[in-house]
Amino acid sequence: MPGIGVAPMEANLPPIVRRNYGAWVWHEVIRPGVLKHVSKSGEACFTVRAGMPPNARVSTALARRICEVANRFCGGYLRITRRHSLELVGVAEAELGAAIAALREIGLAVGGADRTFHNIVCCTGWIHCQFAATDAPAIAKAISDGLWEDFQSEGYPAKLKISIAACVNQCGEGSTADIGVIGIHRDLPRVNDAEVAKCEVPLIVSICPTGAIRPKPPKSVQVDPRRCIHCVACVGQCVGMPIGDPETDGVAIYVGGKAGNQGSGPAFGKLAIPYLPNRPPRWPEVVQAVTGIIGVWTKGARRDERIGDWISRIGWERFFDKTGLPVSDKHLDGYVLWPMAARTGVRFRW
Amino acid sequence: MLMVQLACPRCGFVIEQYGAAQLEADTQKQKRYQYLRKKQTLCPSCLSQTAKLEERRVEVEAGPQAELMAEAEAPPEAVPAGEAVAPTPLCDELERGPWPSHVTELKQTRYHMQMYEEGLRQKRTQWGFGGYTSIPGVASGILMRASARPDIAKGANLVRAFCPSGTFYSTQTFRALCDVADRHGYGILHLHATTCDIEVLGVPKEELRATVDELVAAGLDVGSTGDAYRNCQECIGPLRCEMVLVDSVAMRQAYFTRFLDDVQYPRFPHKIKFKLSGCPNDCTRSQQKGDIAIVGVFRDPPTIDAARLEGWVAGGGDIAHIVRMCPTRAMEWDGRRLAIDADGCVRCMYCINKCPAVRPGGDRGVAVLAGGKMRGKYGPLQPFVIAPFVPAVPPDFTEVFDLCAKITDVYDEHARRKERLGDFIYRTGIDQFCRLVGVPSAPQQMVSPRINPFYHWTPEELQASRKEAD
Repeated sequence: MPGIGVAPMEANLPPIVRRNYGAWVWHEVIRPGVLKHVSKSGEACFTVRAGMPPNARVSTALARRICEVANRFCGGYLRITRRHSLELVGVAEAELGAAIAALREIGLAVGGADRTFHNIVCCTGWIHCQFAATDAPAIAKAISDGLWEDFQSEGYPAKLKISIAACVNQCGEGSTADIGVIGIHRDLPRVNDAEVAKCEVPLIVSICPTGAIRPKPPKSVQVDPRRCIHCVACVGQCVGMPIGDPETDGVAIYVGGKAGNQGSGPAFGKLAIPYLPNRPPRWPEVVQAVTGIIGVWTKGARRDERIGDWISRIGWERFFDKTGLPVSDKHLDGYVLWPMAARTGVRFRW
Repeated sequence: MLMVQLACPRCGFVIEQYGAAQLEADTQKQKRYQYLRKKQTLCPSCLSQTAKLEERRVEVEAGPQAELMAEAEAPPEAVPAGEAVAPTPLCDELERGPWPSHVTELKQTRYHMQMYEEGLRQKRTQWGFGGYTSIPGVASGILMRASARPDIAKGANLVRAFCPSGTFYSTQTFRALCDVADRHGYGILHLHATTCDIEVLGVPKEELRATVDELVAAGLDVGSTGDAYRNCQECIGPLRCEMVLVDSVAMRQAYFTRFLDDVQYPRFPHKIKFKLSGCPNDCTRSQQKGDIAIVGVFRDPPTIDAARLEGWVAGGGDIAHIVRMCPTRAMEWDGRRLAIDADGCVRCMYCINKCPAVRPGGDRGVAVLAGGKMRGKYGPLQPFVIAPFVPAVPPDFTEVFDLCAKITDVYDEHARRKERLGDFIYRTGIDQFCRLVGVPSAPQQMVSPRINPFYHWTPEELQASRKEAD
């Protein structure tokens, strides 16, 4: 094993960051996508943030063009954020306009900081994944196209993070976001006896989280439809357990996830819409549903209220009422941790 | 010398081998060896999943590494960029619109566009079986995936590398990364995967080792796959943030110094994702996804610079709004003076984020939480507070990492195969888990104390009462 670990950090840090390490005192977003940090010494560091292609897929051609921009405006350094936006850190104040234009020239828009729509985090989907029930990058592209102007301005009550996972493994972490899209399979894996016979049955049986899989002699398995939660765990154990089904796969929409401790505190998203069909290439129903929820939130939330905070204040009754989304038994939790979501007491809103 | 080899039972490919003497002496290697003997492994040669690797003891001459996958199928061929390709109407549609398109990026590379086009057309993935695997000499950092459409592509593998701290890159490092992707992969970069790893996609099997070596030469080591400690994702912290309470970046560097073996040699029941945020704003979302979440905290109440506040309010700062939005109503503003009730304040960072005159207290450390995950058995779980305040002392952060090691030792010893840490804690109970780890009980670990009266007493505790009665 190579075993060098991570390189000493100085190797990749711009001088302005090294000079002011641990000495920052305040920051502001001075225009959409542009942050100004000030250090104890009085030095100001300007960061220009730009949205990146869905699933953070960057050709080496674009990457090299980004290097040219970084060389020109940042002395040869660049950064990727925790939502996979590009950041040019240490741009001279007088060159901000030129940097924004240069990024625009290579197809990247500047924005996505503070009270606006942030760069979408999404997984690989059908580009390269065997589990994907939907295509996260295409949905990300469709939603981002619609929010292109919003991304470059700052008019929301608070930041809006949208994340898209193509399956319940959630590499695309839909549950963590203000609005999450999660790809779902809705039917059982289709057991292929000949293929399963080549695999190790005990692995398939033991991986199932609900015990839905039992051996089927002589050398196959059977899946109990009352227990299967379509979680793709068995799919990862044997090629004889395919689950992708173009007729029944689709997505669910979750709302209210956030990590910060402000407002109502860190929480996962809760189910808003149990199922929308896959409709490549642009998933219009999904885009419409997401845009609709954003519209209701921007109208009703107080300044600094993330979607989860807003729903905490107004209550779920009001949320479903204002969005017009129907409620069904799918919204009621019946899985292991359901008491956490079931209401006791009669403090209702009507 | 005598070697212990572990080979695939189906195709015979030797996945890993150890010097017999080395194996006897090295406990880390023994743990890795036991893991390979007992848990699921994906053979990189035939891509079959097995829990029954065969052990062989053989005499081998010291020499170069065994021929990589000599019996394997032919390497996946890449479509040379620029050659005539079949039409891709659905992909083309995804190039329209202002947002930069992933299709535009993929089309400039040797990626097989038809795999994606067919996926969109059929509304089903065209990719087949695969997963994280190890190759001789590289125990983690590789994912291999076959294609379900051999008429389009045979498969595609990727190599995963750790990002530099702060995810800052010199353009020199970045260009070197591009060179590796061009030379060995499709020419497409994943910047980054959601645990903040770099991925180079499209590397043929026989070029995996060379790709690893070239990434390492560029300063980017590989790993973060499989049942191991994954990449520790940290916040930007002292590199550019005024909120940071502890040196998150130095801590991440120290993590790799201390735990590199645990990152690069999978041996645990399941993956362990570390996320490290320097303050309760938690920009790394550790309180949602971290098997182990480390969050900078402060204990004493925030401080208020009255003169600065006056200036800020005079300049239009809306302190009344901030006071109204405090989640525990711990703030009071009478038009001239701001007060924060130390008992009511939960140190959430809201007022500190919004007003430059309010700053965090100076009594700083980290909270350590455990058990966060997305799926596992019970679905999304937020990590639970294990220790609400641990000193975070550079350069080694010994107390923090000793606790993390203790947590993963308990996990390694007691959890089932493929059981996530959060599921293990759920099954065990937070009380028993904390007893096993050896942390004191504190109100900060609870939303509330228990409601039911069903708790345990040890024979020793009962004996004390019996003695008294006698």
